[in-house]
Amino acid sequence: MYQYDAIDQQLVDERVNQFKDQVQRRIRDEIAEDDFKPLRLQNGLYMQRHAYMLRVAIPYGMLSSRQLRKLADISDRYDRGYGHFTTRQNIQFNWVTLEESPAILAELASVEMHAIQTSGNVVRNITSDPFAGVAKDEQVDPRPICELLRQWSTLHPEFAFLPRKFKIAINGADHDRAVILAHDVGLQLKKDASGEILVDVYVGGGLGRTPILGSLIKTDLPWAKLPSYLSAILRVYNRFGRRDNIYKARIKILVKALGPEEFTRQVEAQWQDWQDTSEDFLPTEWNRVAKYFSAPNYLKLAEITSSSLIALAPEKEQKSFGRWLTRNVKHHQQPGYASVTLSLKPHGTAAAGDASSLQMRQVADLADEYSFGELRVTHEQNLVLADVEQSRLFELYQKASEANLVIPNIGLLTDMIVCPGGDFCSLANAKSLPIASAIQERFDNLDYLFDLGEISLNISGCINSCGHHHIGNIGILGVDKDGSEWYQVTLGGAQGNQTSIGKVIGPSFGAEQMPDVISDVINVYVENREPSETFASTVSRIGITPFKERVYPVKNIVNEESTHA
Amino acid sequence: MHKIISYKKLATPSIQDDVWQVIRSDKEQLSADLPDGKLIVPFTMWLTEQHNPKWTQRIKAGDIAVWFGVEDDVQLQADVIQQSLGVWPLIAIDFPIYRDGRGFSTAAILRKRFTADKEIRAIGDVLVDQLIQMARVGFDSFDLRADQSIEVGLAQFSIYHVSMQNDWRSARSQLKTVIS
Repeated sequence: MYQYDAIDQQLVDERVNQFKDQVQRRIRDEIAEDDFKPLRLQNGLYMQRHAYMLRVAIPYGMLSSRQLRKLADISDRYDRGYGHFTTRQNIQFNWVTLEESPAILAELASVEMHAIQTSGNVVRNITSDPFAGVAKDEQVDPRPICELLRQWSTLHPEFAFLPRKFKIAINGADHDRAVILAHDVGLQLKKDASGEILVDVYVGGGLGRTPILGSLIKTDLPWAKLPSYLSAILRVYNRFGRRDNIYKARIKILVKALGPEEFTRQVEAQWQDWQDTSEDFLPTEWNRVAKYFSAPNYLKLAEITSSSLIALAPEKEQKSFGRWLTRNVKHHQQPGYASVTLSLKPHGTAAAGDASSLQMRQVADLADEYSFGELRVTHEQNLVLADVEQSRLFELYQKASEANLVIPNIGLLTDMIVCPGGDFCSLANAKSLPIASAIQERFDNLDYLFDLGEISLNISGCINSCGHHHIGNIGILGVDKDGSEWYQVTLGGAQGNQTSIGKVIGPSFGAEQMPDVISDVINVYVENREPSETFASTVSRIGITPFKERVYPVKNIVNEESTHA
Repeated sequence: MHKIISYKKLATPSIQDDVWQVIRSDKEQLSADLPDGKLIVPFTMWLTEQHNPKWTQRIKAGDIAVWFGVEDDVQLQADVIQQSLGVWPLIAIDFPIYRDGRGFSTAAILRKRFTADKEIRAIGDVLVDQLIQMARVGFDSFDLRADQSIEVGLAQFSIYHVSMQNDWRSARSQLKTVIS
């Protein structure tokens, strides 16, 4: 993975010093909180319900074992011994103090990490495919572009006070694993006949209060032109994005108001006006970065079939190991290797995406032992060991079991995306973690989960949609009604190449009703599905009406719809 | 005397006496005579008054500069700016609130399209912690908000020695060009 050069290191070190000085001035009351807020946010420091929360950037989800051990140390020393992996491939510490935050940033800088632009109205951490460089369907390894753009966006002077936050996602495979249509900018990488990397640019996607899928505004942009083209997009947005209403300030609202064609015209005009080849990425810059993403020293191995792998395991383990191979292990570009997803969604215990410091150290050890010392964070809040020899999968499975990371639920109903919700977040209208636990408890039977097959269930505690509920096959949104917590259900959302926004099925429910509601929804699927039809396909075939009819007894619909649309 | 920070390209930043007065509102000024001294007037006022005979001498004497507000579109006004640039002793860009980042793009566009070396001054809600970005996009003088420490402001420019983007002052750092 990427390693800092002297410039990267100097920049984060200088950033730490700058922030240390800003915090000291804040503590001496030389900066008012209102003036200080963007300064701390641009270093990932939020004021939460109980304490400050620090969001640390994990650029495009790549971590080394050394970095993960440092995160474990930080969680022990400055927090409460755990961290929360987020839907933007970052990690959050929920219990830090303002006074200690510069020291944490200095510790991060010592392992080539930072919290720069993990919050605030700036270009945020760039997200990408967690299987970058190893996925079988990959056309272009997105990581060199991700890293070049990480550098380009870091402390960009013109775009430090945008109307609102700005998220870029990059995908280089046939299958979109970065949800590029749900981002302010989504980049799809491909190659032309000569092998040159070209970029299709989507703009104006986003979730939140107004979920919109991005529009394609540019095809075949040469990769080296990304700085000037993205600057043109950002400049149009910075100048003309709304600043009068925080809920209408994202670029999607501007693109929608102007229409994608007019928006594109303005971007092109800005871009042409500014044409300056000195902004282009240089071949030397590409080489400097790309060399860190070349393939590791793979052994020449023969591909092993799943059935042979299972046959090698002790008989009493074969069923559970087989399940794990089916759900948590993915094909690899390299024969004899596989990618393993460690589930951070065990049933009945921690919050989705939480890892204890002990687990972080265990995962770091596993990464060293089995996957070249590297791992990735997924936007579904799990961890990936990308380069595991197939012949060692059973050994890895056994060791990961000891860390409680092998529940074979990847892509199944209990692999939920869940924001921290009202237990932590001061923006939340409702708690999300207890809802997730209650549903997990209801669907605790692995045989049943396997029978149900792929279903994504995403939960957000408020309309900011950090839990990506709009694009869950089943989405749950916490809402506030007269000061109490209610939950609205959407069906028909999806991520990937069929990314779509779910539809609200009707009035919201109390927390205690939610497991029954989900059971009803699942039962309608089971009764209506055709052989080997997924939940998402059944919903798109039969529509949401049969689900509504089951979930809402007729008289309740009449009663509630008159007061709550 | 009122002080500002001056940070010319390739020069050392310093604290300077300031002689300019910012005229905030165009409405009350329209009928009245212009105050004495050096004035930075709203660009919108320039649009209506630049040919006013009462202004002619003052413009000639180099007493009249303009400031752009966040709603002024410097690309739409390119013709006026081209024609007037020669008589403006400086250009100011207003920050009504420091969080409003439009002024950064305004400065970048002015530098790129219109002028490499005329003084561009930040006025309004100018806080010490935004000076670094301002200096990079093209500002070279800074009229700080009244409560800000000009010494702390001056110290900002020595925090960073590397950058990841080309800007008005320098190209992005490359390994061979790092200075510490």
